[in-house]
Parts: sequence; structure tokens; C-alpha cells
Amino acid sequence: MVAWRTGSLLAGAALAAALLAVVLAAPTADARRRTPTTAVGVGAREYRFAEYRASVPRGVVRFDLTNYGEDGHDLVVETRRGRVLGRTGKVGSGRRAVLQLHLAPGTYRLVCDLADHEARGMHTTLRVTR
Amino acid sequence: MSWTDAHVRRLFWRAGFGATPAEVRAWAKRGRAATLDWVVDGPRGGARLRGPAPNIRGRRLDPVNVWGDDVLWWIDRMVRTTYPLQEKLTLIWHDHFATSQQDTPLMLAQNRTLRRGALGSFRALLGAVTRDPAMQLFLSLADSTKQAPNENYARELMELFTLGSGYSERDVREAARALTGFSSRYSNSGLVSIAYRPDQHDDGVKTLLGRRGRLGPDDVLDLVTTQRQHAPFLVGKLWSYFVATPPSAGTVRALATIYRRSGLQIKPLVRAILSHPALYANLDAPDLVKAPVVYVAGALRTTGTYVTQDYATWMLEQMGQLPFDPPSVAGWDWGPAWMSSNSMCQRFALGNYLVTWGRPRVRRGSAPATLTPRQAFQRAWSAVGEPPVSGATRATLEHLAKHFFDDLDPRWRGTAGWRGEALQGTLRHLLLTCPDSQLH
Repeated sequence: MVAWRTGSLLAGAALAAALLAVVLAAPTADARRRTPTTAVGVGAREYRFAEYRASVPRGVVRFDLTNYGEDGHDLVVETRRGRVLGRTGKVGSGRRAVLQLHLAPGTYRLVCDLADHEARGMHTTLRVTR
Repeated sequence: MSWTDAHVRRLFWRAGFGATPAEVRAWAKRGRAATLDWVVDGPRGGARLRGPAPNIRGRRLDPVNVWGDDVLWWIDRMVRTTYPLQEKLTLIWHDHFATSQQDTPLMLAQNRTLRRGALGSFRALLGAVTRDPAMQLFLSLADSTKQAPNENYARELMELFTLGSGYSERDVREAARALTGFSSRYSNSGLVSIAYRPDQHDDGVKTLLGRRGRLGPDDVLDLVTTQRQHAPFLVGKLWSYFVATPPSAGTVRALATIYRRSGLQIKPLVRAILSHPALYANLDAPDLVKAPVVYVAGALRTTGTYVTQDYATWMLEQMGQLPFDPPSVAGWDWGPAWMSSNSMCQRFALGNYLVTWGRPRVRRGSAPATLTPRQAFQRAWSAVGEPPVSGATRATLEHLAKHFFDDLDPRWRGTAGWRGEALQGTLRHLLLTCPDSQLH
């Protein structure tokens, strides 16, 4: 279950400046301070994801997406039933994006939902442990 | 050859990332041979990291998963290693075997491979790089099959990695055939492995560089490294990282002989280059431009500053040398090309960073406005690690110090500590960024 999320950031190759967006349904500041952040690096290319960490502890998960491919890609995090919890938006070739979510224990799907990219292989899973 | 502080500074900058004042004094006393042995062979028991591990505002580095932490992780090694030559050679091989646009875990694995083989056998290093997953994917050697051999790796192997010239298009095609058979396997989470599959290898007869037979990948590597032009090629390439002036024909011959007689070992060749009188020419007028990575890591190391901020990643990208991301398979353009206006602007920004966050920052009450110009210069010079400074630069900075308080009533100098501290910050920044500091 998602407690809060920050939106996506599209980072230009030049500065890759952080542009964290909206916080939705945010927990209290105290709760956020107590929650550890775990980063998950993700590489995208035609037509597969490379996930640098397949399992993380519950809490804030920061997805660092790099598009190594030639086409644009995005990263969508959804529940196993397909409910979308967050997305980076389209990330151009050679660009990066960050998506930060608060994730409860469970298994989540990571997909690229542009065109037929998911059907062609751009999907993987992330396990969140207690 | 005499052996002075200036010799030690030159050697430590060229072979690594600069010398601290304590290192300069200690190794100048111990002499040339002992210093060269220590620099080339490293400490007994291998490299260690000294000093505090990086801590970015309470966060430990996660080089695999957090973008930019891979760069900070490597810069930290350059700053804290007890064997700087090993890190310098790792950087040199990263440029020589330039690879980019690959997943971070693969790039970090390649970095470990380059470090492990940095000063060993070139043939062994070439074999490891040829089988390295990041390289295999970057130059399309993985999944090059007998039905469709890909020539990318074969071409760069000869042009950029081992020979430079003296081969034909046919040699490239035949080498590509001989290098077929590496096959990648993926899961939903990324690359699982790259393995050699004999059924995907072209086992037909090839003719490569004058030799005919059923050649395979290791035959190709043996052939290119035993060509006559290989040793002079590698000598010239390695020399260019250490000495700005090209070597004479006689020097190339002598160094190539050392390299060949050692069985293509890298360390004896590097030792010979670092011992060469050309490396110590014009000690008071350095002529090799510091590469951005060397400039950043060197400034941190020589001022006793550790990695506590993530600025280095952004600055290096703007300076034009982001590790793990060379612009092409040919690596970076070294030398004066580093000194673009944007790059120089970022080098000034690094000076700001160091005098704000680093060890050279000015402590309140540490620099009264009553210091003489010479004392003010000396204090700033000590605070930034006693870098080599020309007489002209020193005179200019002392002139600045002399007139820094001209607008101030002399009666107020005794209580104008903040102005003295402003002068110290200015002098330290200029020492870290002046023309002298861009060269080594």
C-alpha cells in the first residue's frame, strides 16, 4: 500500500538537477524521518529493464532510472493487480529520472507502459520485505 | 639526478593525485630510488583506504543504485588510497578501454577488473577486458555469431587497444570471425551472464595478420599483442598520460624493449617512464594539463579533504570528464582540450567548494588583518597543501595581500579580523584555481 509519494523528475544530462514534485497523501513529518530510504537503480533499454536490487525493506523506495536505450521509456510502479502507484513519465535516450514512493511489504511490478514495450519484455518485479 | 621536494611533487602528481606536504618532505629525504619503489610497487600488503569513509550529509554511498555515487565512490578511492598509482592506472585503462552506456553494476565490475590488472600483464588485462560484460555489450561482441559476425570489437581491438596501424580491413573481418561465440543470457531483472558457446563460434579457417588456421578469441589476442607495432603503440599511449612532450624514437625503442622483455608486463614499463629524465624536465614550469578527475581528486587529497558532499559528480560532468561515461570508445581528449571556458568555470567552483566545506576553509579568528603580505601568503599556501607556485604567481598574490586593506583606516586593522579572513579565503581560492594549479 502506498502511504505517500513524490513525483517524478526528469533530469537533463547536463545538470540532472533534482526536481522533486508533489507529495501526495504524505504521512507525518515524524513518520517520514523515521522511514529509511532505499535506492533501486534501474537501467532501461530496448526492450528490457535491468534492476540493480530485486528486494528492499519497507519504507521509502527511490527508483533511479537511466535510459541507456535509443527510444524513450518510462518506469511505472504498480501493484500485482495493476493499480498504478507512480510513474516517471517518458524519459528520453541517455536521460535519467527519479521516482520516490513509500512502499509497504509485498511484490510490485515495474513496467514501461509506452507503446508495446511491456509486451516486448520491459517488465520486472520488486519485492518489499518487512 | 638530484632529488628534491620539486621532484617528489612532480612524481606524485604524474603517478597519482599529488603529494601532501608531509609526503613531500618524507620522500625527498628518502631519495629517488626508495620513492620510485614505493610509488610503483605500493605498500606491502596492497592498497588500503586511509581516513574516514564518505558520508554525504549522513548518508553512506550506494554506488550501484544511486546515480552519481559510483563517481563519488571512485573519487574517494583516489583520495584515500595508499597506492595512488594503481588508481591512476585504473583511470588510464578506463580511458584506453573506454566503455560507457552500460548498467552501473557492469561498469563497477569492469572498474574492479581494470584495477586488478592495472599493473600486471597487458595480455592478461586484454583478455579480461575482452570477456568483460560491459565491454562485450558496448562493442557488440556479445551475441556476435558465426552467421553474423560483428566487427566493432575486432576493429577497436586493433585500432585503439593494441596496434593503431599496420592491419587491413581483411584482418578486421577475420578477427571478427575468430571472436564469435560469446552469448548473453538475460532474465527479467537484467543480464545474467555472458558465456562462450562453441556452437555459436565460427570454427572455420581464417587468415589473420599473416597467420592461417582455425583461430579463436585467444589466438586473436595473442596475435595482436605479438605484432611488431604493438609495443611502440602501447609505449606511446602510456607515455602520453605521464609526459606532455612526445618521446624520441630512441626512447620508444628502449621502452618497447623493456616491455617486450618483461613479457608484456605493465609495471616495468610504467616504472621506466616514471624514472625517465623527461618526466622531471622543467620542474618550475609544468606542462601537463590536469585532467578533471585528477584536478578534483588531487585537490581533495593534497588539502586533506574527504568526500562529504556530492558536488564532485556534478562538477566533473561540467568539466567534461564524468567517470564511467567517456564520450566514445576513443575515450576523452586529453591535454589542452580540458581547458574550455566552462570547464575552467567549474574548476573555480571547486575552489569555492574547498574553501567553504573543505579542510582549507578559514576558521574564524585564524587570520588577523595585521599579518604581513608574506605571512598571509604563507598561511594560505600551507592551508592548501603547499602546492607548487611560480615566482610570478607568488608575487601577484603578495601584491594582492599588500593592497587588500588599502581602503581600511590603518587604526582599524587590529580589529578587522573578518577582512583578514576574507583575504585568506581569497588567497586560498586563487592558489587552488590559479594557472599553476591547472598543470602538473
